[in-house]
Amino acid sequence: MSVVDHNAIELGPRISEAEVGDYIALLKPRVMSLVIFTALVGLVIAPGHFHPILAFTSILCIAVGAGASGALNMAYEGDIDALMSRTANRPIPRGRITRAEATAFGMTLSFFSVMTLGILVNWVAGALLAFTIFFYAVIYTMWLKRWTAQNIVIGGAAGALPPVVAWAAATGSLSIEPILLFLIIFFWTPPHFWALALFRSDDYARAGIPMLPNVAGPDATRLQILLYTIVLVAIAFAPWPLGYFDAVYGVTSLLLGSGMMWLAIAVYRRREGVEANRATRRLFAFSILYLFVLFATLLLEVVVGAVAPMVIG
Amino acid sequence: MDEKRQPDGIVLTEAQLKSRRQRSVAIALALGVLVLLFFAVTLVKGPAVLVRPI
Repeated sequence: MSVVDHNAIELGPRISEAEVGDYIALLKPRVMSLVIFTALVGLVIAPGHFHPILAFTSILCIAVGAGASGALNMAYEGDIDALMSRTANRPIPRGRITRAEATAFGMTLSFFSVMTLGILVNWVAGALLAFTIFFYAVIYTMWLKRWTAQNIVIGGAAGALPPVVAWAAATGSLSIEPILLFLIIFFWTPPHFWALALFRSDDYARAGIPMLPNVAGPDATRLQILLYTIVLVAIAFAPWPLGYFDAVYGVTSLLLGSGMMWLAIAVYRRREGVEANRATRRLFAFSILYLFVLFATLLLEVVVGAVAPMVIG
Repeated sequence: MDEKRQPDGIVLTEAQLKSRRQRSVAIALALGVLVLLFFAVTLVKGPAVLVRPI
């Protein structure tokens, strides 16, 4: 009989084989792209001249800060990510990166993004970025997500802050316009994520996350989606009559809002079978298009407004 | 005496060496970008680089 147990746990030091791609995956590139886009809109609609290098620095810092939040989120959620099909392929559940390595990576990026934004641009933006990272990594990830079915409602504030940070970077202060952008993303988040949670409810149940469909049931979730969509459409439209954004934005907002309402009503009415599943998937997909086109309209208006005089004149 | 002497301690595999090299290059590039960024912003702001609104 061998004295040595060959099944014993290997006690040697763990040498990482993680590649750069694994670390990039920790940054949640798809979420980051949406953050970059919304921040860019916040930056572009801000009044006054902002030097392109400072604008680039601001967007870069906001993007890296968002990536840092993603890494800290994955570091904390390594256990539940392994239980959900949507997240099982992330670097930590696959064993490519340890939670400690992801934490160190996230903390390092957080530090550098906040300090760089503060030193090179201004400290209002730096402080807001620090608050955004803290809100996402600590308030949402560590506290709200596993505690309450309102997790994504309150946590949505973190995702809504990037255009506010960008506006602050450009102006050094805050105003009504970035708060309107914040409110649009804030009220967009619940219908978007609850639509996802409706057709991924098994995943969330397996991971023990109290998403609204698992806690209050699918029908209550459908009603909440409809109510939040009504508020979203009203808030997204309001800047036009209030005089903050112009008619092109207003009409686009009305058209897109009609689409959101139509799909939210379909989700509310179709409650069983393939049709119900299809309705929630449609709303989820359209909600991404909704936010993208709404913000792209604001971006295009500014670009056209800047280019048109040069072309005409 | 032709026998190759095994190095002491931990010997990294080919995959570990490759990924470590990749990570080192990425860190070097990131630090390079940071240096360039600070240099460029210093040129843009000039002496006012230390004057920041709070």
